[in-house]
Amino acid sequence: MNKKFPLTPILFLLPSVFFLAVFIYIPLVQNFYNSFFDFNVFSNSKEFVGLAQIQKLFQDDVVMVSIMNNFKYAIISVIFQIFFALILASILEDKLFRKVAPTLRVIYFIPVMISISVIALLFSFIYNPQMGLLNSFLELVGLDTLTRPWLGNSTSAIYSVIAMSQWQSIGLITMLFIVAIQKIPNELYEAADIDGAGRIRKFFSVTLPQVKETMFVNLLITVTGSILVFNEPFILTNGGPGNSSMTLAVHMYQTGFSRDNMGYASTIATLTFLLSAIFALIQIKVSKTGKED
Amino acid sequence: MKKRIGCLIAVLLLTGILAACGSNSSNDAESSGDEVVIDFFHRWPNEPRKSFYDQKIKEFEEANPNVKINVDSVLNDSYKEKVRVLVSNDDLPDIFSSWSDTFAENLVSSGRIKPLTDLIESDPDWSDKIIESQYEGFTFDDITYGIPFTIDGKAFFYNKKIFEEAGVDVPETYDEFIEVLDELQAAGYETPLVEGLTDAWAISHYMGTIFHRVVEPEILAQDYNPETAAFTDESYIKGLEIFQELTTYMGEVSTAIDHEAARNMFSAGEVPVLYMQFAEILMVEDAGDVDFGFFNFPEVTDGNGSADSLTGAPEGWMLSENAPKEAEEFLKFLTSEETAAEFTEVDGQLNAIEGGVTEENANPTSYEAYQIVLDSSETAPWFDNAVDITTADIFMRGGQDLAIGQTTPEQIIEEVQSQVAN
Repeated sequence: MNKKFPLTPILFLLPSVFFLAVFIYIPLVQNFYNSFFDFNVFSNSKEFVGLAQIQKLFQDDVVMVSIMNNFKYAIISVIFQIFFALILASILEDKLFRKVAPTLRVIYFIPVMISISVIALLFSFIYNPQMGLLNSFLELVGLDTLTRPWLGNSTSAIYSVIAMSQWQSIGLITMLFIVAIQKIPNELYEAADIDGAGRIRKFFSVTLPQVKETMFVNLLITVTGSILVFNEPFILTNGGPGNSSMTLAVHMYQTGFSRDNMGYASTIATLTFLLSAIFALIQIKVSKTGKED
Repeated sequence: MKKRIGCLIAVLLLTGILAACGSNSSNDAESSGDEVVIDFFHRWPNEPRKSFYDQKIKEFEEANPNVKINVDSVLNDSYKEKVRVLVSNDDLPDIFSSWSDTFAENLVSSGRIKPLTDLIESDPDWSDKIIESQYEGFTFDDITYGIPFTIDGKAFFYNKKIFEEAGVDVPETYDEFIEVLDELQAAGYETPLVEGLTDAWAISHYMGTIFHRVVEPEILAQDYNPETAAFTDESYIKGLEIFQELTTYMGEVSTAIDHEAARNMFSAGEVPVLYMQFAEILMVEDAGDVDFGFFNFPEVTDGNGSADSLTGAPEGWMLSENAPKEAEEFLKFLTSEETAAEFTEVDGQLNAIEGGVTEENANPTSYEAYQIVLDSSETAPWFDNAVDITTADIFMRGGQDLAIGQTTPEQIIEEVQSQVAN
């Protein structure tokens, strides 16, 4: 056995463990526990209902709609934020753009720094059916047939919400990729040059393998973020029209706070947690993060 | 030594606590000597009502030198929360403001609200001045627990100029209303009726009124009670069909805007008809320059319900169970004809006291609205206040879905039935 028990590192870890426990682990367990009860914010007593809430979960059509919307969110976000952001990052890091790159980087990053509430209000003006920029622009270029009440149409509502998120988040992911690309040793590119590789070849053979690690981290952020997404649909559409742009988090919020059904809201929260945890685990397994160095 | 100091501190602390208890209990007795203290709690820390009530308190205190009134006020949503907390223990103020229907019923269910039926009967000089129809939202099991004061109503506001140009008259029945909308459409108004359907409550206001027109009152009363709700009557489907038909005149734009946007469109003269509250009269006048009138939701000729009930719920005053006699006097003072007349002048919102709103002290549009409130045989509560919130939510989301053609009235009713069955 170890003669010297390593007390110091444990002491250093203690505060963070304490706060994690108080603010994350205990509420998590409590939420799981709550999902077996029926109660609301004002009631003093909780009624034990066993698995009834979980049974309800499987009969609830809105949950299905929400999961589908969350998946749409995840898929589109991965395409835009991982692939487009990577391409954007490598273009910005290209020699041709050296002069303008710093300016462009700031421009792409600005949306990340604006509060999501402000952005959502901004976009509700853009999507406004009467005087919105988007419809006005479409009319200006002669695409009148494409104009529609973007947030008021059950097919376009969720995509309009997703589109706003892409605009907002692509800057952050691009920034992370830029940092990763800057860390790639220049020798690799020089060697590729000597071998006669073109820009595209260099991207696939040098950049891509070198930023793999960052890519998996970004993938994790994006996918779990998509499953937890709340602000954007809540402010823009509140899940409407009908339930067409409902996500799990919005459904949970409305169940708990508007419909006074905290027990069932806890059940939805548990489902959301399980989904994001499963995705995170799969990604960590597949990517074998941390094992390549 | 240290121990002693510790003991001393402990004793000091204890006496402090005990003293606090003592002063508390003497407070509860409400009176010291001949002076009576009334706790008054309302929800208008904003002008002009705050000054209005401060002034009234002063007047009452001058007329009754032995009374002292402690006033407290917080705004709308905080008020709801605070009253809920207060009503769960004995700290409930003696006199306070309350909304009607479910909100009032929840308070009453605490058992700490004073029944006012005796008070009303004992002083007909005062109580006869209060418009009878406004009591309903404060009456549970034939006992009245609140005195209505401010009133509101929902009606179709119409742009008089557009109606004149299109050559249409104010409709008397629902069928005529549809004809009017068709004619307006023919006159070039693509969406003659607009509503901000992203605001769920706006849908609930429509549905509440429609159900009052088409569903038999007894069945409605049964379904509005969470214990007996069934929603099995065929008329509900008819009601939803009426709503669906109306949404076809609202256009796609309505599902993407809120009520405020719809009101601005009306104020700008872009839309001929909009379903609005009388409390919005001033806002419409401030936002634009349209000459408008209003009419109640027209009679549905083959409907089983009330032909001319008005949707809109009053707000009023309640007393706590232990309120002193003087609080009753103060309540009468607050709802007297004189106070009401002054209130109309200062604030502009309509009130439920006869003689409180007159042609002299109200603005002409508000006065016209007042007549509609008086003429209605009964008032219908706001639908989202009348039924269980989960049920209301299904109707409201269903209403959005109906407007975009994603569901049918039958599907909504089916969902509601399975919800209330649980």
